[in-house]
Amino acid sequence: MTKLVALILGVSAWAGVAVLAVLITFNVGDKNQILMFLPILAAVILAWAVGEIVTERVFPQREEDM
Amino acid sequence: MAFMSKSFNKQELHDPGLIRLIFSNTYLAPLWLLARVYLGYQWILAGSHKVWGADRWVAVDGPDGLGLKAYWERATAIPEKGAPPIKYDWYRDFLTYMTDNSWYHWFSWVIALGEVTVGVLLIVGAFTGLAALAGATMNFNFMLAGSASTNPVLFILAVLVLMGWKVAGWIGVDRWLLPALGTPWEPGRIVSAVVPHQEGPSQRLTPRHGPA
Repeated sequence: MTKLVALILGVSAWAGVAVLAVLITFNVGDKNQILMFLPILAAVILAWAVGEIVTERVFPQREEDM
Repeated sequence: MAFMSKSFNKQELHDPGLIRLIFSNTYLAPLWLLARVYLGYQWILAGSHKVWGADRWVAVDGPDGLGLKAYWERATAIPEKGAPPIKYDWYRDFLTYMTDNSWYHWFSWVIALGEVTVGVLLIVGAFTGLAALAGATMNFNFMLAGSASTNPVLFILAVLVLMGWKVAGWIGVDRWLLPALGTPWEPGRIVSAVVPHQEGPSQRLTPRHGPA
């Protein structure tokens, strides 16, 4: 159950990044590319960090995967 | 013929350390993240103009793709003075064929949604190498059609991301997707569980360990 929740959390986080990137770009366009680029970058780093922490705790890496 | 077998004896040549650091080491994954997100943002931006706004190509009142048709007609036109936008006759024939057969109705959807999809995949870092390949292919075709714009820069970036496909998506979905799915020559955990692993030709190579 924990693994399923972690998986759903991870997929949702990355789906959120995709939706955010499309919404920002479509609605704000190319008025200020730097200001549009930064929140997308921050969202990617946040989703990745969440994934790393969750993976570390819920899916500990096996020796043969290293 | 002995020299032939000696020259082509499946000897694996190693890349220098700097190349491996750039294209294969997760240490520089943050740099790839910047390149990837910039590239992805540019693709979504390009796609947004085609699926959104007043001058969009698709989902308009009336037939779709009239914007693409106008673009193809401009590209294939041969001016009375000066050089035509397209240098290669075979490519001009290709675009003329698509225009004459009204392919722009459905091809405009392919381009518009393709650009947004490539952008999203690059930003989230899923199938990064394939997304970069698709983006580079589109850049290449736009350049063949005579459009410079941002295409040369985006093309170079896409080729670099393609070369660094192993680490370009490390700060992204590929961090988990690639180990799970693997590659055709090295199946991941999910594929290995479903399909029994067979030794491929690349793994039969016996590398000679020379200086790196």
